[in-house]
Amino acid sequence: MHAPIQNSEVAALHESPVLPQIEFSSVTKTYGKVTAVRDLSMTVSRGEFLTILGPSGSGKTTTLMLLAGFEAPTAGDILIAGRSVAAVPSYRRDQGIVFQSYALFPHLTVTRNLEFPLEMRGINTAERTTRVRRMLERVHLSDLGGRMPSQLSGGQQQRVALARALIADPPFLLLDEPLGALDRNLREQMQIEMKSLHKEFGITTVCVTHDQEEALTLSDRIVVMRAGRIEQTDSPEALYDRPATRFVAKFLGEANIFENHNFKIESEAEQPSGTVAMIRPERICIVATDAGKRGDGDLRQFVTGIVDDMIYAGPLRKYHVRVGSSVFIVREHVAARQPIFRPGDGVCLNWLRSDIRFVAT
Amino acid sequence: MKTFQKLGQMPIGLTVPALALLLVIFGIPIIHLFLNSINAPAFSATNYYKFFGQPANVRVLFQTIEVSVVATAICLIVGYPTAYLIVTASRSLRITLIALVIIPYLTSGLARTYAWIVILGDRGVINNVLVHLGVIHSPLQLIYNTMAVYIGMVHIMLPLMILPLVSAMMGIDRSLMAAARSMGARPLTAFWRVFFPLSLPGVRSGSLLVFVFCLGFYITPAALGGLRDAMLSTFIAGQVASSFDIPRIATSAFILLAIAVAVLSMLGLDLAGAQGRAPTPARKSWVARLPIFGLLKRYFSEFLSPYRAKLWTTQLYQAGDNSSLSNIVGPLFVLLVMVYLLSPGLIVIIMSFSAGAFLEFPPSGLSLQWYRSFFGDPSWNGAAWTSIQIGVAVAILSTIVGTLAAYGLNRTHPRLRGLLTMAILTPVTIPVIVVGIATYLGLVNLGLIGSTTGIVLAQSLGAIGIVVVIVSATLANFDRTLEQAAKSMRASPLQTFMRVTLPLIRPGVIGGAVFAFLHSFDELVITSLVSGYSIRTLPLKMWENIRNQIDPTIAAVSALLMLVPVLWLIVLYLTWWRSRPRDHHSLRELAT
Ligand SMILES: Nc1ncnc2c1ncn2[C@@H]1O[C@H](COP(=O)(O)OP(=O)(O)O)[C@@H](O)[C@H]1O
Ligand SMILES: [Mg+2]
Repeated sequence: MHAPIQNSEVAALHESPVLPQIEFSSVTKTYGKVTAVRDLSMTVSRGEFLTILGPSGSGKTTTLMLLAGFEAPTAGDILIAGRSVAAVPSYRRDQGIVFQSYALFPHLTVTRNLEFPLEMRGINTAERTTRVRRMLERVHLSDLGGRMPSQLSGGQQQRVALARALIADPPFLLLDEPLGALDRNLREQMQIEMKSLHKEFGITTVCVTHDQEEALTLSDRIVVMRAGRIEQTDSPEALYDRPATRFVAKFLGEANIFENHNFKIESEAEQPSGTVAMIRPERICIVATDAGKRGDGDLRQFVTGIVDDMIYAGPLRKYHVRVGSSVFIVREHVAARQPIFRPGDGVCLNWLRSDIRFVAT
Repeated sequence: MKTFQKLGQMPIGLTVPALALLLVIFGIPIIHLFLNSINAPAFSATNYYKFFGQPANVRVLFQTIEVSVVATAICLIVGYPTAYLIVTASRSLRITLIALVIIPYLTSGLARTYAWIVILGDRGVINNVLVHLGVIHSPLQLIYNTMAVYIGMVHIMLPLMILPLVSAMMGIDRSLMAAARSMGARPLTAFWRVFFPLSLPGVRSGSLLVFVFCLGFYITPAALGGLRDAMLSTFIAGQVASSFDIPRIATSAFILLAIAVAVLSMLGLDLAGAQGRAPTPARKSWVARLPIFGLLKRYFSEFLSPYRAKLWTTQLYQAGDNSSLSNIVGPLFVLLVMVYLLSPGLIVIIMSFSAGAFLEFPPSGLSLQWYRSFFGDPSWNGAAWTSIQIGVAVAILSTIVGTLAAYGLNRTHPRLRGLLTMAILTPVTIPVIVVGIATYLGLVNLGLIGSTTGIVLAQSLGAIGIVVVIVSATLANFDRTLEQAAKSMRASPLQTFMRVTLPLIRPGVIGGAVFAFLHSFDELVITSLVSGYSIRTLPLKMWENIRNQIDPTIAAVSALLMLVPVLWLIVLYLTWWRSRPRDHHSLRELAT
């Protein structure tokens, strides 16, 4: 159930069960000569957690601002539950937003911050109080209602921002780099917490981030953006395992691109034109040159090289191995109890032919 | 239809009241004046030939430029070391010194000019003391000469030079000097190569401010100078009073304006160009960069963060070596400057309590007779009451109009914003006598000469500029995502403004109102032109007194006026203190 709001028509828009809840159709946004978003089309289904991922300047925030109604598209249309919202100003829409800076009102207490969206929807004082109390409990901030935002830690501010966005039961939630301002440990904790909140509220969520780990952890689907365009849309697993383009392969995780290599790539499939071969570092095995072939040796390709460098990174060892004129990155779990190679050692690299991917250049 | 709707919602609409007021009271009349000066529609330069044809005019013109240049130079020579020493002083001393500069800056210029009459006059403090000591037998001629003009002018202008300098110097990143030192620069080299170039914006703002102020401000020269020390502005004011020969007045005004504009563009552009990539765009009006208001705010915040240990910066700043000489010369210099800035006021305050039939220093006895005379004489307390009423009206009008304009400007395209800001700030950017003449004409057209409404409108012109500067500075620090956040929670634009924006920019708005009131309360040049002798404000009454017979009551009035800035400082202190971001230390304690 949604909160009673003045503009019931817009609220009713969100109720349709069949249509995708949010649809961008060929949206373009230009600022003067800069095209921030170019011919962007995508849909978000009900209850989905969709992440827009891309490097800085790729148009993520602009996309979110368009969806929130703070910017109007230069061309194309945005549909919510099948109806165009281009002419609806942001304050007549029903949505929850968590801003990158949290945008907590610095002159209001936590409680008054949470009450704000309820008050704007004309909800009476008694109900406001109970809803705020319930929400504060939900995000474990019951004791902090009387504090000013500046008296909270980063993680607490983040939770207040999230609570404020959710308290009026909006049909969808927009997050702009929601965890960007937190330190690493807190970020992981909040990722788990957000995931469980999303499950509990079942709210359609569009999240913008440049942090691939955050995207992979939280999302049902990821839209990878590059220079204002969509590069690929897919589930996290599919994106990582079968990146469509070289950009996606390199942006999500590490990738060995076969270029300037002095051997022929053996693969199960034919290499399409306009593509390069790619393999993930953890798909490569590193063994001593004199080690014998293993059982699945027939399915593998073997090349020899010399270790350039070894980097110890916690649970992982990362090797840079020179093969001819190209350098391969190999990632290996420390737990694999493999012999440790030193720079200058000769090694044999091998991988399953089926692990080779072809990505568009 | 859609575009039309959009236009109506454009924030630029909020600047309309300010621009309309500006256009009617100042813009149209000044164009009118210009056309008059070039004999439109015949278009000829006869008026200008006529002006330059009279040697007396040329002499006054050169004298005006000379006085302005020399006064600016003295202010810079005295102000730069003073500012430097203030910035390098320890924290508590710095705060005290800045307060001691701000208080005279906020004090009525008339009261301070009057103080110099009392000090330099034939029966003034200096002559009295010298005669008393037997050094001289007849009084020296200390007043009504060029020397007195410079003493008075520099006294009035010095805070205007020091405050921008201090602001610029405090903005210089402390680590830069340390970096220069670490790269082997000797202290003096580090100063010349790093500190000095970075302080140039302050030099520019201060010099422009003082120079333009000198061009248009005739009160002090007229009060302290001799007959030969006339300024062009005195001339213009005199012409308005005697013969209202518009073409002649317009010509003089435009010559003055031309000098101001020439210097403004020269200094404004040149220094910015020499600096290369200046942090502020050159297009911005120089008044918008006036750091006085920012400084005041920073000053208060500094005053209130007692934990910030900044002492180490003192060492980094020291330009010269720590010889015993510079240890004595520096403090002595600052002491002398402070005595120069503050002693006239103190002397007037002391004299205002004198018991004799006329003012004397030191007073032979103490009494409150001049205060009684002020509060008892309707011509005095009536004038004060009129001034308060007008001041409040100006503060209200200009705060509303100016805040709307600042908000609108903040939301418009940067290029348009620069242009409109410059337009709105014109009345505080050009010589005040020119504004006065234009305003006079504008109010004549509206039939408002000699009415309270007219005076309020005339004074609001400058006050709006001041409010726009202060509120804009506050808005520049305002995080606009807070407004987006409010709107995302279904707050309408008006609700957003009232519930989120306004509470957060309130310190700026209150600061603007305070300065608008002070501006009105001390305004004399424009007011004397438009009052039509029927309305007497306190500055007008004081001026009349200074010019004709000096009624000692004016000492009591001046003493009271020196309390006003102290009161306002307390008001600002309270509003800004309450709005300051919470200290992080205490937060940690609360959070754990
Ligand atoms: N208000 C604006 N005016 C002009 N250019 C803008 C504006 N907002 C964004 N841009 C430009 O659009 C591009 C995309 O910006 P943005 O959406 O903020 O990217 P991201 O959030 O992915 O970092 C950038 O090149 C940026 O400079
Ligand atoms: Mg962004």
